[in-house]
Amino acid sequence: MLLSEKRSLFRFLSIYLSSTFLLFLLATFIFYHFQKHHILDQQYTELNLEAKRISQSLGELSSKFTTPLVYPYKKPFDSAIYNVEKEYIFGSFHPKDIQWNKEYYQKDNRLFHLYPVYPYYLGTAYLLVSQKMNYAPINDLFKISLLFLAIAGTFFTLLGLFLGRLFIAPMKESLAKMNRFIEDTTHEFNTPISTILTNIELIETFYNCDGKKELKRIAIASKTLSRLYEDLTYLKLNHNYHRDIEALNLSVLITERIENFNTLIEAKELILFLEISENIVLEMDRNDAIRMVDNLLSNAIKYNNKRGQLKVKLDSKKLLIFNTGMGIKKDEIKEIQRRFKRANQSEGGFGIGLDIVGQVVERYHFKLKIESIYTNYTEVTVIWKK
Amino acid sequence: MEKIVIFIVLVSTVLSAEITERALQKNCIACHVEQKIPSSLIYRRYLRRYSTHKAIKKSLFTYLNNPIQENSIMPKQFFLKFPQKEKSDLNETILKESIDAYLDYFDIKKELILP
Repeated sequence: MLLSEKRSLFRFLSIYLSSTFLLFLLATFIFYHFQKHHILDQQYTELNLEAKRISQSLGELSSKFTTPLVYPYKKPFDSAIYNVEKEYIFGSFHPKDIQWNKEYYQKDNRLFHLYPVYPYYLGTAYLLVSQKMNYAPINDLFKISLLFLAIAGTFFTLLGLFLGRLFIAPMKESLAKMNRFIEDTTHEFNTPISTILTNIELIETFYNCDGKKELKRIAIASKTLSRLYEDLTYLKLNHNYHRDIEALNLSVLITERIENFNTLIEAKELILFLEISENIVLEMDRNDAIRMVDNLLSNAIKYNNKRGQLKVKLDSKKLLIFNTGMGIKKDEIKEIQRRFKRANQSEGGFGIGLDIVGQVVERYHFKLKIESIYTNYTEVTVIWKK
Repeated sequence: MEKIVIFIVLVSTVLSAEITERALQKNCIACHVEQKIPSSLIYRRYLRRYSTHKAIKKSLFTYLNNPIQENSIMPKQFFLKFPQKEKSDLNETILKESIDAYLDYFDIKKELILP
């Protein structure tokens, strides 16, 4: 799966799953909330029944004149009786801070029920009944809610993946078509380009030809085509390509690559500034390094002014390539790193250069920094050491 | 010295309680027993109506100062069975102390126990 496909699938799944999850979370919360109240109501009903039983027993005790009077206490309920002025009379417990204005309330893991009694049997105007809150059914409910969320989450994630794949299928197909087209085109490019370049070299070596200038132009155009071919092949094979990581002398490689671009540099009459420190060695694949350097140099030349400046600086921490020229608008700097995106349509190319640079930078955990002032200059830095 | 003070306080409390109880026996219970008037029943009835000793005391005081049927919460049949009480000749302070002692004697809190 390509990066763009992964990104689309990820975005779709994020939106789909987050909205579904939120909806289910809300529904589960409401369900849990109502069920919890239902469970508490059941426990309050038990308290109410116990209060009625005690009230009835108090009535019976009120008519009994043989002492002692046995208070109708029954486990697991605790109860206490109060007179009309809310003074404690008797009970199996003596709670503090009674909430006299509430018929039912919950405090310190206990449920309380305040039950008014009339007539005032044994002086009782209020009966307070309490029991420890039974958390077991609430905990069970919580577990069931979590289980439901987990099952629903798994089901909708799988459904999301299935729908996501359906969703990106047309895009995948389009990309596959485009890749097939590029593959076919590049394959057809290879032989004629090689033939042209070999023959130009032969003409330059063995024949004293008058049209040197024209031959140079043909050579430049052919080399541009050759690099394009290499870029496209690199992109196509990037996922399956076996990398040979070696201690690569970047100083030598960059000097070689600049040499390779000499024809283009001369054609544009660029002023070249080189600050290349010797023996800068990086652990990387040679082809990756070539693609990265070539694309940076190619852009710096392509988008430069005629007789503009091209500066290449290499030290132990970074590679910096500076060019005068049209520059890039501030809001387009991020955009141009995407494949098929070009800052300026006036120059040729497929817009894959910075995408390749970005891929190499990402693979080796480098950092890419682009600074530009529109219509003035562009400075691209690849940093590998902090 | 402390022990002596505690002893004196304890003795005076016991004596005072005994004096009050004797007065209650003399002023109220003795007559109630003689006439077989159910004091406990009266207490329970007043308790059922008023809930607090404070309210019962007020009502009993009104009745004992002016013992007519209208000032009592007892039913008519009660007065048919038991003779109407005559006006008490006790002064207000002794009467109130006697009511307190009566309420304390029959106090429901003393009768209730846990199983």
